Amino acid sequence: MSQEPIKLGKRESKLRVDPKWADVCLTCGTCAGGCPVTGVDGLDPRKAVRMAALGLDDELINSRFPWVCTLCGRCERACPMGVEILAMMRTARGYRERDEVPGPIHKGTMMSMERGNNLGIPYDDWLFLLADMSKEMEEEGFPGFYVPVDKQGARVITTINSKEPFAEPDDMKFWWKIYYAAKENWTVPSENWEGVTWGLFGGDNESMKEQARRVLENARKVGAEVLLLPE
Amino acid sequence: MNIFELMIEYIKEGRVKIDREKFAGKMATVHDPCNYGRKSEKVFGKAYYEEMRWIVDQICDTWQDTYPTAENNFCCGAGGGAWAMPYNEERIYYGRKKAEQIAEVDAEIVVAPCHNCRDQIMKSLMKEYDLEFETFYLWELLAESLIIEPWSEEEVEKAHAEAEAQWEKFGVELDDDDWEPPE
Repeated sequence: MSQEPIKLGKRESKLRVDPKWADVCLTCGTCAGGCPVTGVDGLDPRKAVRMAALGLDDELINSRFPWVCTLCGRCERACPMGVEILAMMRTARGYRERDEVPGPIHKGTMMSMERGNNLGIPYDDWLFLLADMSKEMEEEGFPGFYVPVDKQGARVITTINSKEPFAEPDDMKFWWKIYYAAKENWTVPSENWEGVTWGLFGGDNESMKEQARRVLENARKVGAEVLLLPE
Repeated sequence: MNIFELMIEYIKEGRVKIDREKFAGKMATVHDPCNYGRKSEKVFGKAYYEEMRWIVDQICDTWQDTYPTAENNFCCGAGGGAWAMPYNEERIYYGRKKAEQIAEVDAEIVVAPCHNCRDQIMKSLMKEYDLEFETFYLWELLAESLIIEPWSEEEVEKAHAEAEAQWEKFGVELDDDDWEPPE
């Protein structure tokens, strides 16, 4: 039984790994030594780099390792040869078939593209929540507080982590209290206010770019000087 | 500008006042998220480590770092979207290093300036590794220690008028008879 030889090279490699990596990486294992999930599924960053350098792209892409890895970058920071392990892992994530991306990451990314936030919170619900909670804040000892929405000329515009309005709305009050105390001229967008870019995690560069574009568009629309992403 | 710089600006300019009694005598520690550290350094050429420590220092009288820290800090275990992924066992296993670090300094308060890290530390690591402490977002720590001076009547009236105009513009109606817009 004959098998096609694996071709190596930047053009052939999905992970755009140069075969020189096989030499650049000293196989010292510093990356593996510093990674808390070394050994999970028999893999570690050093082995992942070898896989990529040896043309085992699909094996790495279809393994769980690039997803069990949290892209924390400790391995890369410690690498004496500057091997770009993070970019490689994230590229491997990006090559996963979209319907095989683990968990809600891909669905959330698509939801954000369609509805402006990862959890699909509707426009009316968002505004009602802000109005209702503004009133709550007043009752809790912050007289005059309200959430300024799409406020022209605001100095600070802030994004929101959708998990807060969805599940932990009171946690939004921490920043609100700070803004109140500082008498900040601030605002939140009525649309496309999501601050969590799941495209980053899923390796989906196009969605990530679009989300960044929306965040900037909102900031420019009101003429904000400061864009705050409290992530 | 990022969250650290904005909070530092408010504190330095005296725009917010802090009650240092609030967390007095409680051992606090800080967690460096990968995104403000290693990744920020790589992408923007600047990591944020000292900024958080300066802020915590303004609020807490007792705190110490874990080891290792800053650029060598351990990830909470839930980064890169792992909090939302189905690999719970691996995520908890990953977090053992962070849990050990927290246990080593006998922290009563853990400060995390990241949603993801905070959730992993507060909702998972504490339970899985049988630890007792309170977890705060960095901005939550500041918010909870603020000395709030209510706005003047004039300021409140102005805000009420703005709020009323805004909610009307967006067509938001609160069906609450108790709440009355300003006269």
